[in-house]
Amino acid sequence: MKPKLSFEWLHACSGCEIALLNYGEPLLALLNRVEIVHFPLLMDHKYTRPEREDLPLSLPEADIGLVSGGVAHQEHLTVLHEMRRQCRTLIALGTCATHGGIPAMRNQWSTADTLQTVLAAGDTEPGPMLDEPSLFLDRVYSVDEKVPVEVSLPGCPPQPELIAAIIEALLNKDTVPPANKSVCETCPTLRKGKGQTTIRRFLDNADYDRDQPVSRMRCLLEQGLLCMGPVTAGGCGGKDTPLCLRARVPCRGCYGPVRPGGNQLLDMKNALASNGIDHRSIVDRKSLLRFSGAHGLIQPAGKRR
Amino acid sequence: MSPEPKIIAFCCNWCSYAAADLAGILRLQYPGSIRIIRVMCSGMVHPEMVLHALDKGADGVMIIGCHPGECHYLTGNEMALARAEVIADTLEDLGYASERFQLTWVSSAEPERLVEAFRTMSGRLMLLRSEQQTSYAKKN
Ligand code: SF4
Ligand code: SF4
Ligand code: SF4
Repeated sequence: MKPKLSFEWLHACSGCEIALLNYGEPLLALLNRVEIVHFPLLMDHKYTRPEREDLPLSLPEADIGLVSGGVAHQEHLTVLHEMRRQCRTLIALGTCATHGGIPAMRNQWSTADTLQTVLAAGDTEPGPMLDEPSLFLDRVYSVDEKVPVEVSLPGCPPQPELIAAIIEALLNKDTVPPANKSVCETCPTLRKGKGQTTIRRFLDNADYDRDQPVSRMRCLLEQGLLCMGPVTAGGCGGKDTPLCLRARVPCRGCYGPVRPGGNQLLDMKNALASNGIDHRSIVDRKSLLRFSGAHGLIQPAGKRR
Repeated sequence: MSPEPKIIAFCCNWCSYAAADLAGILRLQYPGSIRIIRVMCSGMVHPEMVLHALDKGADGVMIIGCHPGECHYLTGNEMALARAEVIADTLEDLGYASERFQLTWVSSAEPERLVEAFRTMSGRLMLLRSEQQTSYAKKN
């Protein structure tokens, strides 16, 4: 009997699932080895009423479960608990699931404020309000804040090869490939030591010769662009040049912190300060947590614990 | 009465830890809730260590190094100063009052200055606590 795979998406954008579909031809071989029992994004599978009265819904049993997206609503929580109950191995797929991702940026406001801002009309009329705002959780949580997970795979979205490698490792009962070091680790740009000591606006382009490869381009951080490579987990480019660097733009930090408990804002500012770069020249520093605001890292403004 | 605020004090081996030693020998009095952690240099205290202490329930954190120009490793305390700026800016972003952190310079011959810094910090955290209790009481 083929191992069963189950997919769910919570506070997600479908990008993580599309990344898997983007794997190309090798995907067909992978799909031949498994049976997909539940994948609401791709297959019309119904959520059934459970036989047990105390459970709000039931999902099929599976060997490997993949969950993308964070947890922001009571419904996400219900689905997530059922996934945990039914899947022997649970993978948090994508930065939303592992660190909150972009949606966790709303943690800088209270849920009531967010709903008011999102739903309010453009004029002075009070906007329509949902009947049951209480079904929203107080903030956006990562998956591992709510249930234990066996594997965390960040990335917005994760590289198709990384997703496939983990599924294959689990199928073969191999050890899951270890997490990568920072983005800088595989970045081939030229590092000369002392660079610019202030940070330029993100709107500025890097200096480079378009006829030359990335390995002839000066490190973007040394050029004074806010590249988050040093404080971001690597892996986006495989063993090759990180993806954004291929496009000659700085890393935005989409794989979350290098260490699971890391703090990209604090680590980036510390990295700049320790190298004599004026960390106060960053415009909108709070956005350095744009991908990793769960785990209570982004707090509503003015909350002075 | 509520207990004294718990303070983690990172003291460098060469100046402030020696000052703390001397304060003990001189039997100077300071709040008993201060926990000294000896580090080789104030510059080695990563901001994440400060944040970790607060996350784990410390009321305040101090980094205490040698006076500028007197660092045993020449420029370690300049690093501490740069990192202290980062901490001061970032604590508020992360939802902590910036009063919870203090950087201080103390030489090995200044136990009184060290004890004074401990007392000031402890008082400041007491004040913060009572402010927060009043604002909490008003809200509810
Ligand atoms: S991690 Fe990125 S691609 Fe995946 S669900 Fe979140 S926003 Fe979408
Ligand atoms: S800071 Fe950016 S450009 Fe520089 S080495 Fe790291 S990833 Fe590459
Ligand atoms: S370079 Fe950075 S932002 Fe770009 S894909 Fe890689 S980890 Fe994400």
